[in-house]
Parts: sequence; structure tokens; C-alpha cells
Amino acid sequence: MADSQTQRMDRMFQRIMRGLVDTGRPPHYAELARALGMGVEDGRALLHAVMSAYPIGWLHPETDYIASFPPLNGLPTQYRISVRGEQKWFAQCGFEATSATWLFPGEAVRIDAPCLDCGDPVTVEMRDGRLVWVDPPGVVGHLNHGFGPSRGRPPFL
Amino acid sequence: MNLFRSEEHARRWAQFNPASEVGFISLPELAGFFGTETRRHMLDADYLSVWYPKRAAERREYVTRIGKAVPFWLGTAD
Repeated sequence: MADSQTQRMDRMFQRIMRGLVDTGRPPHYAELARALGMGVEDGRALLHAVMSAYPIGWLHPETDYIASFPPLNGLPTQYRISVRGEQKWFAQCGFEATSATWLFPGEAVRIDAPCLDCGDPVTVEMRDGRLVWVDPPGVVGHLNHGFGPSRGRPPFL
Repeated sequence: MNLFRSEEHARRWAQFNPASEVGFISLPELAGFFGTETRRHMLDADYLSVWYPKRAAERREYVTRIGKAVPFWLGTAD
């Protein structure tokens, strides 16, 4: 029996997330289409359906390239994620960075970012959701514009 | 949605929004906010259809629990 649209969207979502985890970059829709056994244009249409259903991520404007697929980002940000000593991931924002730990079960996941005030480093290490190292100890999260579309600025900024 | 070395550093940030004094969250609370049950299933085969739709309610419950049930955090109209 053919997959339903919901099943196809679930499969593509998982492929994208797994691709990001495995390689540090989001796959292109043509790669996704091949992996899912569908035509390229069907893959492109399905990617748009997935992004509509997951609006906290987005495609780069005027393209079909996955720019952001939280908690990780295709486009580099100041939130660098390292696992097993290898830095090849970026988080969408400082808040989503604390969620990256759930993509690497059992691993120490390190977040490195410059403080936007002074440029000095902020380092957080987590394992399975637990904070295991924070430097400096006073690190805080800050939401500058509030959640919700009514405030006019993307909350991730 | 940024991490700063301290609240004082955030307030000195050139783009700090004066209306965002309510926008601070401790790191342990932030880890909890972005570590709720649905977050633990992001690699599951049914995440998009089963787990992601539960996230909004889960977030509302969490911000209420940590005393941040205000429009700024809930994403509701002021």
C-alpha cells in the first residue's frame, strides 16, 4: 500500500534531521527524493510541505535550500556545536542550542558561542539533557523580542 | 534567543530591547524548557506527525510552571 502524505512527511523529516546529525549539513531535496524513492520534483514539493508543517525552520528566501531546521542550522550561526571533539554543527539560536543534546544520546555535546556584548566565550556542555559544564557560571538565556508573530521580529534573533 | 555571559552582559548588548527585562531565563530553566518530552523524540520516525504537534501545549505548561506565563513568553497578544 502506498504511503500516505503524513507518512511521507514523517519520513522526509526524519531524513533531514538524521542527515543534519550525521553530516552537519541539511540535505538537498534531490538527495532526499532519491533516498525516499520518489521523483525529484515530488521531493521538492514534499520538502515544502514538511517546512510548512514545521514552521520553526525555514528555507533560504527564494530558494529550496534548507537554511534552518531546529535545533540545528544549515546556515552557520554563532552557536557552534561539538560532539566527540568535532565541531561540525550549528544551532539555530542559543535556546535551541540547549536542545541539541537530545540529538546525540549518551554523548557530551558542547556549545561554544561568543557573548554578543563583549565577544568573550560562552561555553556550555550537556549530556542527555543535563548541564555538565558552564563557563562562566553566570551564563543566562535572553529572549529579546518575545515569542509570537505580533512583535514583529523573529524571536530567534 | 541568545546566551550571554551574564544578565549585565545582555543589558549592555547594543541590540538589547529595553522591553525584554522579562526575557531572562536561567540556564537550568532553559535546559528544561528545551528539554521537555517532545524534544526527546526528534529523531523518531513519527516526530513530525505525533510529537511536534504536542509541543505548543508542552511549552505553555512549562513556562507556567517556572512563573513565566506572560504574553512575552507565551506568544500571546499583550
